[in-house]
Amino acid sequence: MNWKKDVGGWLLASPYVLAATVFFLIPLGWSLSLVFYDWNLIDPVRQFVGLENFRTAFTTSRVLYAFVNTYKYAAIFVPSVVVAALVLALIVQHLPRLKQFFAVGFFLPYLASGVAVGLVVRGILSYDSPFNEFLRATFGSSPRWLRDPTLALVVISAMIVWKFAGYYALIFLAGLQGIPRELYEAACLDGAGPFVQFRRITLPLLYPAFYTVLVLAVGLCFGIFTEPYVLTGGGPRFATHTWQLEIYYQAFDRYRAGYGATVAVLNAVATFVSVLIIRRVVEAWGVRRGFR
Amino acid sequence: MLMAFGLLSAAQVVEITFWTAPNPSQEVFWRQMAEAYMAINPNVKIVVSPMPEVPTSEAGILAAIAARTPPTASENIFIGFGEQLARSKAIVPWNTLPGWDNLVQNRAMNQTIEGWKFADGNYYIIPLYVNAMLIGWRLDILRELGYSQPPRTYSEVLAVGEVVKAKYPGKFVWLRSELEVPTWWQRWFDFFVFYYAASQGKALITGREITADDQAAIGVLQFFKTLRDRKFLITEPLATGFELGRTVMTVLGPWTFPWWRENYPELVYGQTFVVTPPPVPDAYPAEKPVFTFADAKGVVLYAQATPAQRQAMWEFIQWVFSNPAHDLKWIEITGMLPARDDVGTNALFTSYIQEKEPALLPYAQNIPYALPPFAHPEFVEIQELMGLECIYPVLVGELTPARGWDAWKRAIRPLLVK
Amino acid sequence: MSRARLVKGFVLYAVAIVVLLLMISPYLYMLLQSLAPWREVDRVLFPSTYGWRSYEWLLGGGVGALPRPWLRAWANSALVASVVTFSRVALGAVVGYALAVLAFRGRRLIQNFILFHMFYPGIILLIPAFLLIRSLGLYDTYWAMILPGLVSTWAIFMYANFFRSLPREVIEAARMDGAGELRIIFQIMVPIARPVTAIVFLFLFMERWVELLWDMIVIRDPSKQTLNVLLTTMFGPYGGYPGPLYAAGVLLTFPILILFLIFSRRFVKGVSLVIST
Repeated sequence: MNWKKDVGGWLLASPYVLAATVFFLIPLGWSLSLVFYDWNLIDPVRQFVGLENFRTAFTTSRVLYAFVNTYKYAAIFVPSVVVAALVLALIVQHLPRLKQFFAVGFFLPYLASGVAVGLVVRGILSYDSPFNEFLRATFGSSPRWLRDPTLALVVISAMIVWKFAGYYALIFLAGLQGIPRELYEAACLDGAGPFVQFRRITLPLLYPAFYTVLVLAVGLCFGIFTEPYVLTGGGPRFATHTWQLEIYYQAFDRYRAGYGATVAVLNAVATFVSVLIIRRVVEAWGVRRGFR
Repeated sequence: MLMAFGLLSAAQVVEITFWTAPNPSQEVFWRQMAEAYMAINPNVKIVVSPMPEVPTSEAGILAAIAARTPPTASENIFIGFGEQLARSKAIVPWNTLPGWDNLVQNRAMNQTIEGWKFADGNYYIIPLYVNAMLIGWRLDILRELGYSQPPRTYSEVLAVGEVVKAKYPGKFVWLRSELEVPTWWQRWFDFFVFYYAASQGKALITGREITADDQAAIGVLQFFKTLRDRKFLITEPLATGFELGRTVMTVLGPWTFPWWRENYPELVYGQTFVVTPPPVPDAYPAEKPVFTFADAKGVVLYAQATPAQRQAMWEFIQWVFSNPAHDLKWIEITGMLPARDDVGTNALFTSYIQEKEPALLPYAQNIPYALPPFAHPEFVEIQELMGLECIYPVLVGELTPARGWDAWKRAIRPLLVK
Repeated sequence: MSRARLVKGFVLYAVAIVVLLLMISPYLYMLLQSLAPWREVDRVLFPSTYGWRSYEWLLGGGVGALPRPWLRAWANSALVASVVTFSRVALGAVVGYALAVLAFRGRRLIQNFILFHMFYPGIILLIPAFLLIRSLGLYDTYWAMILPGLVSTWAIFMYANFFRSLPREVIEAARMDGAGELRIIFQIMVPIARPVTAIVFLFLFMERWVELLWDMIVIRDPSKQTLNVLLTTMFGPYGGYPGPLYAAGVLLTFPILILFLIFSRRFVKGVSLVIST
């Protein structure tokens, strides 16, 4: 009887087991083994190089830029997207009617392909665009958007904020709707104004939503690719370079399969450690403030 | 036995594939060639398709070889990439095939082919075209500003810049948004053009040595920097510059002309624009010829093809290149110049150019002074580092031109000895 | 009091509308520029006249240019995204059901492994997966785009969470009927899970539709390229034709928008449901 249950369970789970074995475990093992080789994919000889790939990765600036930039992206992106998403959620929450209409509208950017949006942003920021002509007519000069290291980082972060704010807003919205109205009414009777209510009731009870959004947003910074790829190529001089761009460049522009796999492993480690740390920090903060 | 094999192969249709550059007009040319050839050789089927860009055409070819699905032959290979393919034994030297000398003779390539010899003494690439990179000038705007001809030296260009800016503060001399982008092949269309002009064509790298003319290179960097500092050069993306008269100078390849005909018919050679060799340092003697970079690419034969496919492809290639009428067709369709010694002298070509596309004349005349890229398998990184370590820091003022140049040389040395 | 409320409501709607316009402005810009005369593209916000030239050029080819297989690419994207998404939804429901409802040995192992799989950065597998596809002989085939995506850990995760939140009685009642597990899944569980299915389907369809890197690497035949890949390759040699590029962007983006708006009624409900579980 019991083994029949087991067989049934595994049978129904088998599509995943099969897919994960073929397209996850095998490539994973392969990737880990390539790490010790220098190979361009077409040469008949694979050169064993031991730990040389790791040594290179730790001593060249390209990887360091990718590593550091990810935290720069996070420093701009995470706070902005949390605030933007919260504002969007609060707008929708307080609208008496058409809640759904606006929630859907705010979510639309999430559906954009990075390539198409890259095209639009490139057009809007080109030197002779109406936008820049306007800036020059009004202020006498226009910023060097994608040619300035800081601005380029901001522009790309802003694109990602635009894309994800509506999505994260839905998470906040779900959290907001879970807060009982009576709490606000009771606070009102106690004479608490809207800001006190927000700080004392809304924020603490939104903690699970914050947790989700923060973890998602930090994890996302390790996967940035399309926006810098189509807009800056990682420049000016690595100012917008990312892990994904570096892996792509090594593996598919220069065809260094082993070294590319090495950088990918480092990317994985950096992602895991960072997401783990942010989770711990947010959890500790939640516990200290008594949110959970 | 041989007879039997011959009969068998005559009865069977050999299918071969040819990849063209991802440029529509080049694809048109090769399709026409293949159709004409198949009409008289029914036992060969030639499949012509543009090569994939993943995201560059070079990466696409490597991916195909890695996947064991390369074409039989392809065009669009420049010498640096050819060197990489040859080292991995992915392509076959043409000169080992019977009839090579005849082909060189028939296509009038005796002189041209010398620039395509590989380090091992073989010829892996049949050069297809040579696009000398020249400079286009808006003659109408220059005339309006009081010039009868374009500037020749750096100082003259800067002087034009002063006049342009004085009259039209919103205009620029040159739009080159890629100058601040490290993408390796962009260097072909800025630094190399000016460097070869300044150095009389001195090679940057020979074998494993840096053989550059340092003074010329530093002069070019200084020129770029001055242009940018005085706001004569714009490095931000611009929807349209030269075509709408927002800039007066542009690095110009002949492939631009068909595009202009479609979109900017008001650009007429000799009236609205002219074409000259690149500007040179002030001390450069006026009577000396000016060198420039040549965007030059050719055809390779892949080693993974079967012997029968290689043989069939070789016959097709010989047929294409042995008839000057085909090269004329190439000019007609693509607007680019074939890699022949006689393109500037043979009446077949010159009369066509003069009549139909006079703007190509300077390109034909400058072929002897147009140098193909250097051949080193690490070309991607070497040229990427030029943007990263040298041009960008110099432009933004982090390094002086001399220091920037040293930084590049320091950065590439470990790559050269590899 | 009521006057103050009216003002407050008015301000709120005004803000909401402004923000909404901001959020959809890139789409509007794309649409306007795709209809603009070529010389005005990116140079004016509202074109002086509107026309189809960019679309005609894109689909029919211009002077000196071969037509690119746009419609074909569009169909490729639709085909790949549909097949992959249907499979992911169906298999997600099946595996999610097994993990949430059936008590079998090894269930915990699979559950933990799925979490590991979900949080493992996918790009690390790009190169070896490419080599795997190559050695399976699938390089440059539709299978290369379809097979690796047939199962989604995220879909499994969503369905498992949802099924777990259902009252046991619903499932037990269904199983009392003696129906086979697959019948229970598709006739009872999936209909109950409609809001989840709506959002899983949408997210996954869109995710597949905008896939770029993988499709770029495993496909070389232009007739098999997806729309997103074709659009990206246009950045290089066709950079001089911004009008047609915007037209391509419209063709890439708007089908998804329309699909989404059709599903949107279920969507918000689905999201709040899924997130609260």
